[in-house]
Parts: sequence; C-alpha cells; structure tokens
Amino acid sequence: MVAIRADGLEKSYGSVDALSGMRFSVSRGELFGFLGPNGAGKTTTIRVLTGQIVPDRGTATVLETDPVAEPIETRRRVGILPEQESPPSFLTPREYFEFVGKVRDLDSDRVTSRVETWADRLGFRSKLDTLHTDLSRGQQQKVMITQAFLHEPDVVFIDEPLANLDPLVQEQVKRFLVAYADDGNAVFVSTHNIDVAADVCTRVGIVADGRLVAERDLADGAEDGDSLLETFLTHVDDVDPRDVPAQMTGQP
Amino acid sequence: MSRRVDWTVFVALFREEWRLHAELFGGRRFLLFPGLLAALSASAAVGLDATGTTPGEFVAGLHVFALVFGLYSGTAGFAGSDMLENVFGRLTLLLSSSTTLPLSRRRLLGTFLVKDALYYGGLFVLPMAVGIVPLVGASATAPLVVAELWLSLFLAFVAGMVVTVAAIALRTRGVPGWAIVAAAVLVAVAVWTTGGTRVLWHGLVSYDGSVGSAVVLAVSAVAVGSLALAGYDPSYSRPSRTASDRFARLEDALPTDEGGLIAKTLLDLARSSGGVVKPFVSAGILLALVAFLVGVVDSITGIEPSPGIFFGGVLGLTAFTTYNWLTQFDSVEEYLAYPVTVEAVFDAKRTAFVLVGAPTMAVPYLVAVVAFDATRLDALVGAFLLAGYSLYYYGLTVYVAGFSPNEFLFDAIRFGAFTVGVAVALVPTLIVGFVVVPPSAPVAAALGCAGLVFGGVGLALSSRAGPRWGRRYRSGRAESA
Repeated sequence: MVAIRADGLEKSYGSVDALSGMRFSVSRGELFGFLGPNGAGKTTTIRVLTGQIVPDRGTATVLETDPVAEPIETRRRVGILPEQESPPSFLTPREYFEFVGKVRDLDSDRVTSRVETWADRLGFRSKLDTLHTDLSRGQQQKVMITQAFLHEPDVVFIDEPLANLDPLVQEQVKRFLVAYADDGNAVFVSTHNIDVAADVCTRVGIVADGRLVAERDLADGAEDGDSLLETFLTHVDDVDPRDVPAQMTGQP
Repeated sequence: MSRRVDWTVFVALFREEWRLHAELFGGRRFLLFPGLLAALSASAAVGLDATGTTPGEFVAGLHVFALVFGLYSGTAGFAGSDMLENVFGRLTLLLSSSTTLPLSRRRLLGTFLVKDALYYGGLFVLPMAVGIVPLVGASATAPLVVAELWLSLFLAFVAGMVVTVAAIALRTRGVPGWAIVAAAVLVAVAVWTTGGTRVLWHGLVSYDGSVGSAVVLAVSAVAVGSLALAGYDPSYSRPSRTASDRFARLEDALPTDEGGLIAKTLLDLARSSGGVVKPFVSAGILLALVAFLVGVVDSITGIEPSPGIFFGGVLGLTAFTTYNWLTQFDSVEEYLAYPVTVEAVFDAKRTAFVLVGAPTMAVPYLVAVVAFDATRLDALVGAFLLAGYSLYYYGLTVYVAGFSPNEFLFDAIRFGAFTVGVAVALVPTLIVGFVVVPPSAPVAAALGCAGLVFGGVGLALSSRAGPRWGRRYRSGRAESA
C-alpha cells in the first residue's frame, strides 16, 4: 500500500530550480533512502511532502492526505526530523516533549511512558532536566529523534538521522528504523551518506538536480550488481573518483 | 599574531560583516540604509528646528542615540548572550575561527571590535552626522562641521561599546550579572545626586567642548577597552543548567494556550539570559532617555510637555523591543515540523506580547506620570494612547518584519515603512503634547479616539500578519523576503 507519492513536483526559488519533476512512491513497510549530494533537492522534497511549502507544479499524497491542501492533517499523521539546527530553546527535554505532546494532542501519561522508553533507548535519561540549549549536539539530536516518533506515526520523514550521534547510538537508531519499517510503517530517510543508505534501506532513490535519476532495490534477495556507490556516481556526477590523478588521492 | 595576520583578519572580518548584512537585508539594498538614516537625521533636524529646538539639543539627541547604539553593539563581538548566539552564531564563521586556526581568541575579539567600531562608525554614525547639514547650510565649512560632529558621535559610540565590553569581561570573570547591573544603577544614582550629570555629559559630547576633552574621551575609551580585553576570559563557558518541570503548570495557568505555544514562548523568555527583566530594562532605558531629553528641553526652553500624552505616545515604542525578545529563541521553520499553522504561531506571540508587554509598559508609564506630576485627565489620556499605540506599533512590526524584527531592522525599505508608520501616529501626538499643556477636554477626547483607532489598526495589522507571513513561508519566499 502506497504511503507517500510524489508526482511531477517542481519548485523554484527565484532562478534556482530546487525540484524539476520529482516523481516516486514509497509503500508501507519500506525504509526508503533518499540519496543525493548537497543541493540536490532532498530537503525541499521533504518540505513539500510535509506541507511546509507548496510546489509550483505537481501533486503529492501522504497517507491519503494532500499536503498542499491539508498540510496540518498531513503533519498530524507523520513524524518529522528536520535537518536544520534549531535555535536555542530554554525548555528542558522533559518540557519539550510535553510541548510536543500538547501540540499533537497526546495523552500526557502516554507521553511520559514513551519518553522514558526513548530516554533509555538513546541514553539521555540523565539529561531530561537539562536546558535544551545546554545539551551537546548529539544529545539534541537524540531529543529530536524522540519527538519525531513520540506519536508513533505511520510515516516518518528523517533528514540525516545519524548526524552528531556516537557509533553506539547510530547502531541503535539504525536497528530501530529497520524494525519500525518492518512493523508496516514507511520510513523516509534523506541522506548523503551512502554507507547509511546501503546499511539500512530496503530501497534507495538517487536524486540529482531536483529529480529522481535512479532507484535501487536493496531488500534481501535483490539482484546484486554495481555497488550503491558506483550507481550513485554514475548518475550524480560524470567524474568517477577512480579517474582522479594518483597524486590527488595520495596513492602511488 | 603578527600585524600582517591582524590586518588579514581585519579585512576578512570586514568583508564578512558586509556580506552578512547584504545577505540578510536584500543584497545591495542594504546600501540604501545609510542613505535612509541620513535622510531621517536631516528630516529630524529640519522638523525640530521648525519647532524651536536648538541645534545644540539636536546634537545632544544624536549623541544619546550614538551612545545607546554603542552599548548595544558592544555585545556583538562576544556573541555571548543567548540572543546573539541565535542571531550570529550560525552566521559568523570568522569569529569562531580561533577554535580551528592558530589565532588568539582575545586578539581576534579585539580585532572584531575595532572592525565593528569602524564599520558601524562609517555606515551608521556618519549618516547621523550628515543630518546636521540643513542646520549649517551648504557652505564650504559644512564638510568640516560634519566631520567634527562625526568624530564626536563616533567617540560617544565607542564609549558605549567599551562599557558593554567591560561588563561582559567582568561577567567572564565570574561577577554575577545582577551585581554588574546593581553597580551600574548605583553609579548612575551617584552621578545624578552629586550633580555629575553635566560633567559627564560634557565629557561625552566633545563636539561642544575642547579638543582636549575629545582626546581624554578617546584615550579613556581605548584604555577601558584594552583593560576589558585583557581581563576577558576566553575560556569562560556557562555551566549547563537544569530546571524543574514548569511547562505543564504554566500552560494550565494560562487562560488560553492552544498547543502550548504561549507557554513555550514565555518559558524561553524567562530562562534566557536576563530573564523576564529584559523587556523591563529595554523600557527603562527608553524611559530614562525620554525623561532626560524632556529635562534638557525644559531647562533650555522652559517648555514642559503634558507627561501623560508625551510618555504614553513614546513608551508604546517598547512594543518593538518586547516583541523582539519574544521572537529571539524560536523560528517559524521550527514549528513547521508540527501540526500547527503559521497563523497560530503568530496568534500565540500576540497573546504572549500582551501578557509581557502590559506590565512592561505600564510600570515605566506610571513612574513617568507620577514623577512628572501629570494631571488626572492627562494621565488617563496617556494610558489610552499607551495601550492603543503599543498595539499599533506591535501590529506594524509584525506585519512589516514578521518573525524577525531584529534581522529586518537594517533593511532600508522595511525600516522606512516602519518609521513612516510610527511617525504617522507619534509626531502629531508629540506636537500636541508640547503645545496643549495640560490637555483640554476636547483635545483629550480626540487623543483618546486616536488611541482607539490606532489600536484597532494595530489589531487588524497583527491579525493579517499571520496569514500574510503564512503564505510567504508556504511559498518558500519568507527566508529571502
């Protein structure tokens, strides 16, 4: 069952074309990797699909809602982990989760129990009463991951999920994302980290110049061929790093 | 660091400052801002001259502005306050380069402050000085007069900067913020009660004094600035802070708070540097400045305005600073991750503004009407004006600048629109306040109506601001607006 569908999305900022006919779909149970270099249109796509901005052309559907016509309903149903650094908030994580629960109209007891679970899972229980602005970037990322899953959404949009996390927590988050998709939810992961995409995603869409230029099925049993890195380089850049002169790579 | 490195850093910082402003305020449109300042300064000179204000009073007013601007600018180099971390932290690369390059942070900050002094001294203080041209005429000596006034204003500006830098340096040495504020208040009271104001004033306004007083001010500023930099502890960092859970209690206590947006805003304000006292300090500074200018005008011309009308009209301007504080610790983009509309975020800010702004304006207003012995009718009309005009100034700010009043302050077109909007209400009110003392019943009724009308306009503007900026954010145009 399709959970996310983008059909011919176009979006320009002045003379810059951020999206030029973005088209793809993601089904429930998929962990879809949205892979592309900086400036390829990944964040703009997420912002359109979550109703934060409207496209110039094209249509989108997320969990049977139209993010252009009913952005609040779309955002009510999905979880969002934005990439941008938040301004300093002087709420503690405990208060911040209360705020998120209030905004999302969640029962306060359920919020408390889920926060406890996530605080243990990601290891920030001792920081629950520290002001968010005084947390390290890694701890702030843990808080933001938690808020994205607090209402147990059927679809989650995640921009660079492992940013600033230590290797141990990265592994925990990766395992959690795989299990979350296995439970029948759709997980949309935007990243420029090829290793992360290859490690956890069931399918990967490669983005360049504001559109999807290739797709790779990475689920168990999918046909082996070129590595994801090779596929990525083939579609994203004409320059193959293996062609770079030896003196630039430091190799003999 | 060698002098060559100092110079390289200085040039890079200067270029970065220019690009920062050009990026934030519509590219080269930022160049219009000094021109607008010069026009405003010249218009004020002509207008005040027509109402009988002497050139000396005009020059005194400019020095007050330069000093206050310097006090504010002094914080920028240290990027130490929560607000400045928010505004500049993600934008200034060079200021943080002492962590990645072999540069002394103390020396880097010193260079940064010198750059700030020259940058703002040229782009902002110089246009202020140009405003005197209509008073001296287009004679051959006019450039010399402008240059002298600029030098005098520049010294006042730098004096303000070094005072702030010294306070921040003390803070990094563990002196509590409240102790610094208390010491400043004590010094101010001591100067006031011992009659030192005039001496201090003559020391600050070197335009009216001798070359010797200017040299003394310059040497003092350099000495205090150098001492402050030497005392500044670059390794200072605030320990991480914890807090008990107050969100739910605050949210329950509010009569209305859909989604907890108001409670979040109020908690952010209360826990950031300076706490809830910040808006009161801003209002207190405005009160002190206006009271000082009223005193100067009274001592020279013998004209004393109706205090209720005068302070009611002027103190409403704190709506801008209060709203600025309420929007420093979040962004619209942050809320777009949740199921809330931009309109709801703006509505929550308006409620927070009323909750914080009402006491912020009421307290200094009451102090003013008591201190200046306003009549009952005058005080009542002033209260109407204060409520109505503050709502109007608030609506104007939100409509013109959206969620970023501080960043858009230096955008020439927005600043021009804001200034005209303020002048439409304020200038006639101030004239009436000076001319009709005390106010007659018809004048009081007319001003009361003006307060109601402008309040209604402010309400309409603030109601339209949410949808207006909501459309901009959804179209993706708000970031570059």
